[in-house]
Amino acid sequence: MPQNPTLTRRHLLQFLGAAGASAALGGCAGPGSSTNSGPASAAQTTGPVTGELSFAHWRAEDKAVFDQLIRQFHKRYPDARVAQDISPSDDYQASALQQVKGGEVGDVFTAFRGAQFLDMAGAGLFADLAALPVIDRYRTDMIQPGEYEGTQLGLPYQLVFNMPVFNADLFDQHGVSEPPDDWDGFLSLCETLKSGGVTPMAFPGADLGNTTHLLNSMVMNNAPSTDMFTKIQSGDYACTDDWFLKTLEQYAQLRPYVQPNATGTDVEPAEQMFASKQAAMLPTGSFHIIALRSLGVKFPVGLLSPITVPATDAKYVGVHNATFVLGVNTASDNQGAATAFIEYLSDPEVAAQYANATVQHVTLDGVDYTNPDLQAIEHWLHEDTILTPIYQFTDLDISDAVSQACVDVIGGTSPQQAAEDAQQIVDERVQ
Amino acid sequence: MNTETTTSPQTTMPPSRAPDPPPSNRRRRRTPGFHRGLYLFPLPALAIYVFLFAIPTLEAFRYSVTDWDGFSPDFQNVGLENFSQLATNDSLFQNALVNNLKFMLVVVVAQTALALVLAVLLVRNSRSSILLRALFFFPTILSSVAVAFVWKFMYDPNFGLINEALGAVGLEALQSAFLGDPSKAIFFVALTQVWFHAGQMMIIYIAGLQQVPVNLYESALVDGASRWQRFRYVTWPMIAPATAIVVAYTTVQSFKAFDLILGLGGNPPTASLDILSTRIYSTFTNSEFGYAAAESVLFMAIIGLVTWAQRRAVRLTQAEA
Repeated sequence: MPQNPTLTRRHLLQFLGAAGASAALGGCAGPGSSTNSGPASAAQTTGPVTGELSFAHWRAEDKAVFDQLIRQFHKRYPDARVAQDISPSDDYQASALQQVKGGEVGDVFTAFRGAQFLDMAGAGLFADLAALPVIDRYRTDMIQPGEYEGTQLGLPYQLVFNMPVFNADLFDQHGVSEPPDDWDGFLSLCETLKSGGVTPMAFPGADLGNTTHLLNSMVMNNAPSTDMFTKIQSGDYACTDDWFLKTLEQYAQLRPYVQPNATGTDVEPAEQMFASKQAAMLPTGSFHIIALRSLGVKFPVGLLSPITVPATDAKYVGVHNATFVLGVNTASDNQGAATAFIEYLSDPEVAAQYANATVQHVTLDGVDYTNPDLQAIEHWLHEDTILTPIYQFTDLDISDAVSQACVDVIGGTSPQQAAEDAQQIVDERVQ
Repeated sequence: MNTETTTSPQTTMPPSRAPDPPPSNRRRRRTPGFHRGLYLFPLPALAIYVFLFAIPTLEAFRYSVTDWDGFSPDFQNVGLENFSQLATNDSLFQNALVNNLKFMLVVVVAQTALALVLAVLLVRNSRSSILLRALFFFPTILSSVAVAFVWKFMYDPNFGLINEALGAVGLEALQSAFLGDPSKAIFFVALTQVWFHAGQMMIIYIAGLQQVPVNLYESALVDGASRWQRFRYVTWPMIAPATAIVVAYTTVQSFKAFDLILGLGGNPPTASLDILSTRIYSTFTNSEFGYAAAESVLFMAIIGLVTWAQRRAVRLTQAEA
């Protein structure tokens, strides 16, 4: 049998050693050697609208409506195709930055307002959109969260209200015609509902992300400034400060008004409790209305925020969030088409289709809301609402610690203890 | 039987042939007919190992002494600061470590014991035993996400099966928040893990038990050994290799129950359900790659240490037996 005269074990080992060393050296080239970091370049607003586009986002529940909108986009631009790259929201929060950075996914992409947007902007993923004429179609006050160092990098698209949803029929049955405008009124409302055999609130204590929505309402009037959580993260404020302790004490007052074992309840069972009229309020937000309708909810719903101070001291009556921040990827080799897609989504008629189908308002002006639920809560677009404070945190561990303190208090921990536990984590992280 | 086919080459060597030269340090004698090209066959596997395991592991060590955020082109070398912070001033990591050790302790003890009991009961190859083995093994073939969702429903305090059943028989006092009870949540997840993998470990034990020579039991019977004594002095020492595998595998599994925790506890899990692997993931998500790499290195060292300690403990136990 003929033998290979050139390959010996020594040659093999030499080859493997060289390959390993090359790989190691390649690895040692350092992170970011293929990244798109640096100051944001302006997105190409001209160029052919052709080719394949990837649209990366986390809204699997919006896939059908986006498919429909994409078909219309394709009719307008027959040479362009858009594919949705959807990840579950948790995964998107965790890994979108790395996925989008390479440029293979997300010619057009989205970011959560707050930490993720800031990280992505800091990593140079967002092309500068300041030159896009469609920016004028957006509400100026609503797209501010898409600014980074004075440049409009992203366009927050969805406008949601992170306030408890209530069953208007149950409120009527219990003689509640108007949402209470102070803390005593809110506790009185809860007591009325409870004595009527209804659980006032279905609190999703096992889902940390969804517990944070109530916190926004609870702090909006208690805190001495609107950037209260930024100041906790910077060390200027502490969880043991009076305003936060007061908030936790008010959480303790809510204990009798949530379902038994609330700290073990996930958001889906909480929705089910609300849908089956066992609970009168779901303390999450307007973005859950569509899920409730899909559970067969027929009764009218409304939004209300607990006002934690006397009515005369209340500065805000609700909470809003501008999120789903649209952006063009600096690493995309098809920025012309990507920009055209964002311009297309920024058409008020297109945005109206999206809003009415997903039961979420949008940040654009001149949108015709025909969905009855959107119409019912449309007045909140003009109320004094605060931009969700909880997303001021850019450190997720601190954000979770603060949210966990509220859950712990609902579960029976003393407000003081919960505040100290949270502050310990803040102190460790702030150092 | 044809004896020629079993004759070794040495016995057929002509006696006149000169003795072989002493083996060289530089080059060993090659088997006749060996093709050097065969060295190429392990290359794909080796390449995968080097590029997907060895290099990333080395990279993890490198990043563990930096403050890299995961996307910036530059980073600083921070020496051992990450490790010092982890050891002295990171209550989240320490909480995850404690949770993980509790989880591991329960899973290793309960899963090993349950697997052994099931194996002893089902070791005979009867029809009913085979059916029951399949039944107990079944959870193993489910995806961990599916298992998490099933148990999430079981543990739900409002609509869940366990609280409903307790309520139906008048045991409302035992109803619980389960995963929402910070002092017990991790044990409920451990229970799920035991349900999930005990069948798999049972199979390893059955394989071990079926290797035990029957004559040892016969001798023990002749000596008047009781059922317990037969187990204690025959079965237990003879299944030492199986126990070592089960314990080591279960330990590593306990540290890597990432998907089960995220499925049951959400992302991020609450502090009472946070274990080391989920903590590392949260740190990565928080754009602290350097710090997360340090956590990973420590995680690897902890698994190594615990596995080593367990192997020694198993050996000592069986040496005594």
